[in-house]
Amino acid sequence: MTPAAPHRWRIEVVRDATPRRRALSLAAVMLLALALCGLLLRAAGADPGTALAALVRGAFGSLNAATETLVRATPLIFTGLAAATAFRARVWNIGAEGQVFAGAICAYGLSHGLAGLSPLVQLPVVLAGAMIGGAAWAGLAGLLKTACRVDEVISTVMLNYIIVYVLSMLLLKGPWSEAGGFFEQTAKVDPGSVLPVILPGTRLHLGFALALLAALAMQVLLARTPLGYEIRGAGSNLRALSVQGASAARILILVMILSGLLAGLAGATEVYGVHGRLKAGAITGFGYAGIVVAILGGLRPWGVVGAAIFFGALVNGGTYMQIKTGVPSALIYAFEAIILLACLAGWAAAGLRIRKVADAV
Amino acid sequence: MLSDLLQMSVLASILAATLRIATPVLLAALGELVAERSGVYNMGVEGTMLMGAFTAYLAADGTGSLTLGLIAAMLTGALMSLLFAILVVTLGIEQIVTGLAINLLGSGLSVFWLRAAFASDAKSPTIALFEPLDIPGLAGLPFVGPVLFQQKLVTYLALLAVPAVWFFLYRTRQGLELRCCGENPKALDVKGLSVAARRYGAVVFGGAMAGAGGAFLTLATSARFVPEITAGRGWLAIVIVIAGMWRPGPVLLATLAFSFLDALQLQMQGIGIRVPYQILLAMPYAVAILALALRRRQSGAPEQLGIPYIRG
Amino acid sequence: MTAAPPRLEVRGLTKRFGALAANDGVSFDVAAGELHCLLGENGAGKSTLSACLFGLLAPDAGEIRLDGQPLNAATPAQAIAAGIGMVHQHFVLVPAFTVLENIVVGTGRGWRADLAGGRRRIADICGRYGLALDPDRRVADLSVGEKQWVEVVKALYLGARLLILDEPTAVLTPEESDRLFAIIRRLTGEGIAVLLISHKMREVLQSDRVTVLRRGRVVATVVTADASGDDLSRLMIGRAVAPASAAAPAAAGGEVLRLDRLVPDRAGRAGAPISLTLHAGEILGIAGVAGNGQDELLETLAGLRPPLAGTMHLMGLQATGLGAHALAERGVGYVPSDRFRDGLVPDFTIAENLLLGRQWQAAARRGPFLGAAQMRARARAAIADFAIAGGGPDTRSGRLSGGNAQKLILAREFAKARHLLLCNQPTRGVDIGATEFIHRELLRKRAEGCAIILASEELDDLLALSDRIAVMSGGSILGTFPKAGADLSAIGRLMAGQGGRAA
Repeated sequence: MTPAAPHRWRIEVVRDATPRRRALSLAAVMLLALALCGLLLRAAGADPGTALAALVRGAFGSLNAATETLVRATPLIFTGLAAATAFRARVWNIGAEGQVFAGAICAYGLSHGLAGLSPLVQLPVVLAGAMIGGAAWAGLAGLLKTACRVDEVISTVMLNYIIVYVLSMLLLKGPWSEAGGFFEQTAKVDPGSVLPVILPGTRLHLGFALALLAALAMQVLLARTPLGYEIRGAGSNLRALSVQGASAARILILVMILSGLLAGLAGATEVYGVHGRLKAGAITGFGYAGIVVAILGGLRPWGVVGAAIFFGALVNGGTYMQIKTGVPSALIYAFEAIILLACLAGWAAAGLRIRKVADAV
Repeated sequence: MLSDLLQMSVLASILAATLRIATPVLLAALGELVAERSGVYNMGVEGTMLMGAFTAYLAADGTGSLTLGLIAAMLTGALMSLLFAILVVTLGIEQIVTGLAINLLGSGLSVFWLRAAFASDAKSPTIALFEPLDIPGLAGLPFVGPVLFQQKLVTYLALLAVPAVWFFLYRTRQGLELRCCGENPKALDVKGLSVAARRYGAVVFGGAMAGAGGAFLTLATSARFVPEITAGRGWLAIVIVIAGMWRPGPVLLATLAFSFLDALQLQMQGIGIRVPYQILLAMPYAVAILALALRRRQSGAPEQLGIPYIRG
Repeated sequence: MTAAPPRLEVRGLTKRFGALAANDGVSFDVAAGELHCLLGENGAGKSTLSACLFGLLAPDAGEIRLDGQPLNAATPAQAIAAGIGMVHQHFVLVPAFTVLENIVVGTGRGWRADLAGGRRRIADICGRYGLALDPDRRVADLSVGEKQWVEVVKALYLGARLLILDEPTAVLTPEESDRLFAIIRRLTGEGIAVLLISHKMREVLQSDRVTVLRRGRVVATVVTADASGDDLSRLMIGRAVAPASAAAPAAAGGEVLRLDRLVPDRAGRAGAPISLTLHAGEILGIAGVAGNGQDELLETLAGLRPPLAGTMHLMGLQATGLGAHALAERGVGYVPSDRFRDGLVPDFTIAENLLLGRQWQAAARRGPFLGAAQMRARARAAIADFAIAGGGPDTRSGRLSGGNAQKLILAREFAKARHLLLCNQPTRGVDIGATEFIHRELLRKRAEGCAIILASEELDDLLALSDRIAVMSGGSILGTFPKAGADLSAIGRLMAGQGGRAA
């Protein structure tokens, strides 16, 4: 065997990768991700084909399944928009998880005294409460950053842990716990505060329409308003913006508030649209999943909607898959992470080229 | 009740618990310290610890050997952070987002695997725990003995790792080069040395340490794996590196401070002080925010922390 | 000349970036003990050439020989091993490390950091070439000149036989630059070959030979003693240098700016108090080596850092401590020195960048929305007026070249500067064509009655444009010269921070 000519691999940055290159690279990495997911399915003792078929049927197999997918997608649209808005400005709000809790808590706190009043009174209070709660919890992290230089990644994560205990205090033998109940949850909320179903015969509720409306609003805000202009500018070169007189602190706080109020709405749709009572299990996990949705959606509002429906389908189909094949539905969360990693790698790889260069003697 | 707390034996048990609680966080924090000194901000500590805790449990349960469990955890941690390093060092992807993805992976994969391996969380078997290792001659000392010298082997190793990491960073050629990567990687690159290789090394070391920290939770504390068993300890390790100004000694002090708080909290619950337990549990996170808010200035951070190195 | 091969021999070196040949068949050689200068404008291919020599770029064709041996350095490590040392244009130092650590890091074998051995070798090198360096000082505490010595010692420590200096004097005072040349001469005396990359005639003329590059090709290699500065300039630019566009002195208008003992904030420390007045239709040039307080002064005037003391009046009105936004509203434009860091948002289109700073103004909006059509129309006008090449209103500004990016910033800031325009290093790193364009535009703006403060390291800029020249060093204005009486040597002395107060 002759030894190969000495060479080394060098990775070079490609400026302005073409859209085709991006798409190809993304497709390649996604295929790899799917193959990995297939391996996981096999490891769990299932036939990937059967399991995948069950997953698709569970997600879209009937009108009921499809609307259920949209129901699952609804909170993810909100948290995805929350993460996308913050990330567009390069503000690392990892706290959508906690802001969903804060939104739900505030909505319940403001509205549960209004039982019996007209939905026209209760619904606006629920939605406003959710926005206020989420915005306040996120704004706190913003203030910590601008006033005390606490990195927002750390503060939002810490606040995520803290609010879980706040809710637990309110619910476990606390002021809001269900009378005579064993579980950490409130009693059923007043029917007048429940988000109405918009497609009779299904569980698809007003929250989904609101989520689409929020996506539209964010699209217009980002593309056409001065605030959106500043958010996009901050993500690209915040310094140039402040040299021209914009206040970096003001942008940060506004972004956190906007992001928080979107996340807070997810709390309201789950409590008042799906579960009908406030409990931790009803609102856990959407914040972190929203980050995946935002990245997969390319940080664009309509991309977020698409990605959220995709993940809604995964979660919805995953449950069906567990029933049909015995594969734990927790697999979906591993899927999410793998797809996020693949997505990140795909984008980055499009901007790189690996070249063989001759090695010197 | 305060007098109860002040009794010597109670104090000794609080301090002994402090060291036990400190062990996993200290291991992870030292690993993160080395990674950050090389310029890489690994926010995936939480997920890496979680996978370490799970694989340690799985391996110990399968082989009956705690040592193999620990090794499995360190390998898993190294593997997770190798993946992280490929993404952030070679591909130059945003470190914060990639770290989160690693956390989600650890969280999802460990729960899925647990449920795939055992029919349900409750049916997972318990394993034997690491036994305390008395240091001959010292373990019998009053007060100091139970606090310092009746700990588990991993705790001793974690404490010894503090001077070891210090020596590596400040007294070895590789340590100097590693710090250079964090301060100004170009200074190394123009001398023809690979920044990427050193960052890979630092990140993988950090992952192995986080894996070991996770292993301590299942092999020395809990005897079985519970989803989200790390409960934010990985994040705490990141906070501790900042609070410890990126230096091994202060990192140890910060770890002990947080752990003391936690040990005190456990003791207070134990003797039934009437404070809602949720407040006690939330305290470390609130203190972490306070610690960061009240520190004087961003001091000691490597100049190029979190910035991918691209030549040119 | 002996029969020994030259220290460095370059034959037919070619490096292409896409369709552009940055180096096209470049050939020249450097003898041992020679100070050889590589002269060329920005963009002539000097940096590409040095990157190829140092293994940072792989040439597409051609040959490089070192002492007769073919050199095919694919990495800096191989170039260093072969005996090439490089002092980069921007310092590559670790501020938090000591001098010793900076030099020793990345060298040596074994697991120990051999600081004691390094200390001895550094003392040797410093002794031999007459350098004074304290190995235990932190690099962050060194002066710019001292940092340059550290860079040189770093290269020698690695055993360089050929030392490449990439524009080493860009940040040095004339005095420090003289010291550097004294050291270079001791190096060449010891047989080390030095390749100096520069476009400053004063330095070039001290070399033994000059190779002139233009658009990636070697125009000529000449013995320096046989050529004049004018000859070399002509070779470099390809035509005679246009005489400085002597501007007719403008009739001084009313007072635009008055500073009374204004103290800029220099990284938490107080700078020297600065007092001056500026009239409409006047250009005040600020001469000085970068980092002597020009950035702080201009940023204070632009409202980016509040002054620590003193007052500022704009058009007769109190303007002390106003923010960037308020000052812009009062007619102040600001062209920052680092245009990509401070001046542009790379992901914004040209049209969006032109709006920067005005995004909340009612005039820029239609209801709650930004007026898109109006933005585009404005962009089309700016592209035409300022000859911005390389894109239309919807082109991302991150894709623009340095010169066009600067024109885009000028277009925006000229529109804002109704009364006062602050320009920091407006021609840094742009080609001759763009420089001439910028000069013309500045004079046009002056003719419109705008007062201009122009800080530049290029004395040529200042002499061509200014009505008065103030010299800054160490944060204070050491003297102000009327253009007529400008004495280059006096200005040079003041830039070095010495000499008495001028008229």
